[in-house]
Amino acid sequence: MKTRIIAKLDAKPPFIVKPVHFEGLRQIGLPFELAKKYYEQGADEVFYIDIVASLYQREILFNEIEKTANELFIPFGVGGGVRTIEDFSKLFDNGADKVVINTYAVQEDPEIINKAAQIFGNQSVVVNIEAKKWDSHYECFTDCGRIRSGRNVIEWAEEVESRGAGEILLQSVDADGRQRGFDIDLAKEVVENIKIPVVVSSGAGKLEDIKALIECAQPSGVAIASLLHYDSYQIVDIKNYLRKNNIEVSI
Amino acid sequence: MSNVIGIVNYGIAGNIHSIEKALKKAGAKTLIINKAEDFTKVDKLVLPGVGSFKDAMKELKNDGFIEPLNNNTKPILGICLGMQILSTVGFEYGQTKGFNYIDAEVRPMLVDAKVPHVGFNTIEVVNTNKIIKGLEKAEFYFMHSYEVVNYTNIVSLTEYAGHKFVSSIQKDNIYGVQFHPEKSRDAGIQLLKNFINLGEK
Repeated sequence: MKTRIIAKLDAKPPFIVKPVHFEGLRQIGLPFELAKKYYEQGADEVFYIDIVASLYQREILFNEIEKTANELFIPFGVGGGVRTIEDFSKLFDNGADKVVINTYAVQEDPEIINKAAQIFGNQSVVVNIEAKKWDSHYECFTDCGRIRSGRNVIEWAEEVESRGAGEILLQSVDADGRQRGFDIDLAKEVVENIKIPVVVSSGAGKLEDIKALIECAQPSGVAIASLLHYDSYQIVDIKNYLRKNNIEVSI
Repeated sequence: MSNVIGIVNYGIAGNIHSIEKALKKAGAKTLIINKAEDFTKVDKLVLPGVGSFKDAMKELKNDGFIEPLNNNTKPILGICLGMQILSTVGFEYGQTKGFNYIDAEVRPMLVDAKVPHVGFNTIEVVNTNKIIKGLEKAEFYFMHSYEVVNYTNIVSLTEYAGHKFVSSIQKDNIYGVQFHPEKSRDAGIQLLKNFINLGEK
């Protein structure tokens, strides 16, 4: 199977920002410009996450989503502040192919996963898990690593799978934005315990990090932000490197 | 011939807009089909679909689309679930009858790997046709948990974790693709272009 290389855009509307360790934010550019750039570089998918919508209980900016979707002829996943089935509907209407949910499902009502999967199909429901090491296990956090949920990451991953989620976007609160490598143990544990695809994010600082993650944990996809935002590498460079190392990727 | 492509909108939310956008990019005039009368206004049909086989057939029935589709003689392109419902019967949430354009069953993918099968994958053309021509080496985007099981009318196969499944079908002017051309970069746009240009001089 070809590992998906996904460009991840973290938004503090109207800008795409680069959170460092989920805290300090640096402005990178506008969503539709970056999405188009990464699409043209050969990204297999684009994820757009409004990282402040949930925290500030803000409305999702649908016109931004639509404008961004218009530039893409690859799958487009959108999340941040999703609370209702109507939010799912509106995002699909504005061009999202997948909707990413986290805070509301983990903190308030996990049943929304079942409802959304039944109405829109499993494959279009993505659950974002923000994992942080806590004592000897990983715990789910929300609101960009600010709030604990008390839920064990593996148990939650199994639960969202049984509730009908089609995919997991796995982030590491500790590794995010630091560009010091992925939390491979975390990725491996989640991938091995569930049957649905897992996309792993947080930590790519050099090409070797991505290779190590894929070889050790075999995720279905790798989501990359910083490495692309700072133009350290283009997606085509990443893919060429992986291919040279006998890892299958598209184009 | 005006050559308008109708996109069948049957209440299953999802990728209608992506498909419309991609068809326009491929140069088509499009019309979203919201009621049975709209079928007479178009020259070709695209049958999209996300969700389950059972819900799709139920929604098509509620919208009054079963009869116009049963009586249809225009070229159809079924995409993903839209291809699956061209089959005889589906086994998603119970047993549901499909359009029976293609003698086939729709069953869960039986693979020792992650399901749904998500991502770009290649196709292995068994019998080429007008819409796949020139795209034999291309990669397309897949996102599905069920597969069409049939032994005739196969256009291409795709391998996932050692398991080969039917990734596109054709019978007369009925075409089906398991992948999403609207999400498959330039290759997908080209496939849509080929469909739009069927029968055009």
